[in-house]
Amino acid sequence: MSRVAAIGIDAGSTTCKLVAVDQDGTIISSLLEPTEPRVELQVQRMLDAIRAEHGANSSVRTIATGYGRKLIKDATRNLTEITCHARGVFRDLGCAGTLIDIGGQDSKVIQIGGDGRPVDFMMNDKCAAGTGRFLEYTAARLGVPVPELGARALSTAQEEPISSTCTVFAESEIISLIARGAEPDSILRGLHRSLVGRVVSMVRNVGIVAPLMLSGGVAKNEAVREMIAEATVEDVILPGEPQLMGAYGAALLGI
Amino acid sequence: MSEAATLSLPSRLEVVDHVRSLGRALVAVMPIHYPRAMLRAHQLHPMEIWGPPHVERHEGSRHFQAYTCDIVVKAMSFIRSGGLDATKAILVPHTCDALQGMGSVLGDFLQPDQRVLTLYLPRGRRSSDHEFLRRELGRLARTLVEVSGHEPCRDDWDEAFEAEDAADAALADLYRRRARLAISDRDFYTVVRSREYLTAEQFCDQAAALPEGEAPQRGVGLMISGIVAEPALFDQIEAMGAYVAGDDLACGFRRVYSASAEADPLERAANRLLTSPADPTCGTPIQVRVDTLQTRMRALGARGLLIYDPKFCEPELFDVPLLRKHLNAAGFPVLHVEFEMGDRLPYQTLSRIEAFVETLS
Ligand code: SF4
Repeated sequence: MSRVAAIGIDAGSTTCKLVAVDQDGTIISSLLEPTEPRVELQVQRMLDAIRAEHGANSSVRTIATGYGRKLIKDATRNLTEITCHARGVFRDLGCAGTLIDIGGQDSKVIQIGGDGRPVDFMMNDKCAAGTGRFLEYTAARLGVPVPELGARALSTAQEEPISSTCTVFAESEIISLIARGAEPDSILRGLHRSLVGRVVSMVRNVGIVAPLMLSGGVAKNEAVREMIAEATVEDVILPGEPQLMGAYGAALLGI
Repeated sequence: MSEAATLSLPSRLEVVDHVRSLGRALVAVMPIHYPRAMLRAHQLHPMEIWGPPHVERHEGSRHFQAYTCDIVVKAMSFIRSGGLDATKAILVPHTCDALQGMGSVLGDFLQPDQRVLTLYLPRGRRSSDHEFLRRELGRLARTLVEVSGHEPCRDDWDEAFEAEDAADAALADLYRRRARLAISDRDFYTVVRSREYLTAEQFCDQAAALPEGEAPQRGVGLMISGIVAEPALFDQIEAMGAYVAGDDLACGFRRVYSASAEADPLERAANRLLTSPADPTCGTPIQVRVDTLQTRMRALGARGLLIYDPKFCEPELFDVPLLRKHLNAAGFPVLHVEFEMGDRLPYQTLSRIEAFVETLS
């Protein structure tokens, strides 16, 4: 008999994640891929792969989250990212607190209660400010690969202030900074500060209940972590697999 | 999602033809409170304008600050593009600074073909507020005689109050009967909001025709507060596994008035307006709003409050932090969402509401 008790799917706008858990909520298997245009077909393929790998059949409870969640026909149920991220991080780190999740297209701040459920939350509005996309677009202007962004931003003490949190305006600011001969790493440092400023203002709106936790793809960026800690004067802790927390929480909610 | 609406409401155009056949002229009316019976006594019919659909902001936005709400800016676009040419006058109550600004821009600068009427509403319920309102209504009545060319006699006033009081009572009764009406939230609010353009008699007929039975409302009960909720929101809420247990909307429950038996028409109209439920645009103290909301939420089985406002609605925004603080302390979670009228609800907004429903489940 298969060990898989439930499967969580996070059909995000940038990446698509699947997590299979056993009856105790331990991760048995996970998959992560960049999101394809037909996310429903992609998820089906990933689901088939994970089921085949563990001999699980289609009756295993499957919970979908993320922006493409409603397209997943095989899902037993779909739930928002807020509920799933809260549950995943709560289980992984074992505590209540304030979670900042910075994804590719949106970011959210969730206050997690003592039972792992969201108590209060905030999401950024419908633009790319305060999201991974902001860093991605603007860094593309500087020709820096995304995995190197954080280290490059921390490699200098010089910082070029970027006053705009809007991706379009920030891009024109970068162009004028380049034209003035500013160092790319100093510009990157300014870009990170701008993103963190936007995220921290959301954190303040929701209110900080320690500890401060960080999840989502951008959690891997060390400059973002450091600047959030600096701005909030709080330690920032990370779950083991920050990018998988939505899918993990979804799987846990399926047990 | 519920089955397709079973309602058969007359269209706005049909209503226009009907009221014209009754010898009444049209007056466009901006939100929220105004003396309906007074218009009728002067042989005028109100057509309310709550952010007309399929209208862009750009034409209207030239006349206001960038942050002015959609209700005002889109109404201005509509007026400028000739959408209200069939009306004889535009009544702009002083609901908020944005509407006061609209009244001034229209009356003092743009001067459309229609007569622009203003109505200053008091921000309290003291006897001085009553006296002020009575005088304002007197001023408005004199202007309406000029607009309509009709000076109402005693019978006109009595007939108008009788009809409009009956429609007010029908609206109050709809809210009382909500749990026994076998209709979706979308249909319920479509009928509630048809008061914005139907005649009093048409509204009473619609309300009376609603089928009784088991209300199809299931899941998590929400209280919705704010200015106006568009029909698509109700479908979305239903699809999320929730329902509207009650509302505190300017286009809904905040206009459940009680009738007055005063003989003097101005006195009677003033009394009616001053019976409206708690409303930030009427200066209701925050503690009264909190107490009223809590009591109603408990009675109606609402588990949380969704405050759903057009962007930059000043009077609403002032109360949000305190409503949140006090209701949270009383055990009622609060979600505040701002939206742009006419836009399809963005994914983020829907996700926030859905996550809110999940936290209440
Ligand atoms: S939405 Fe708010 S600001 Fe706009 S007209 Fe209505 S009350 Fe005034």
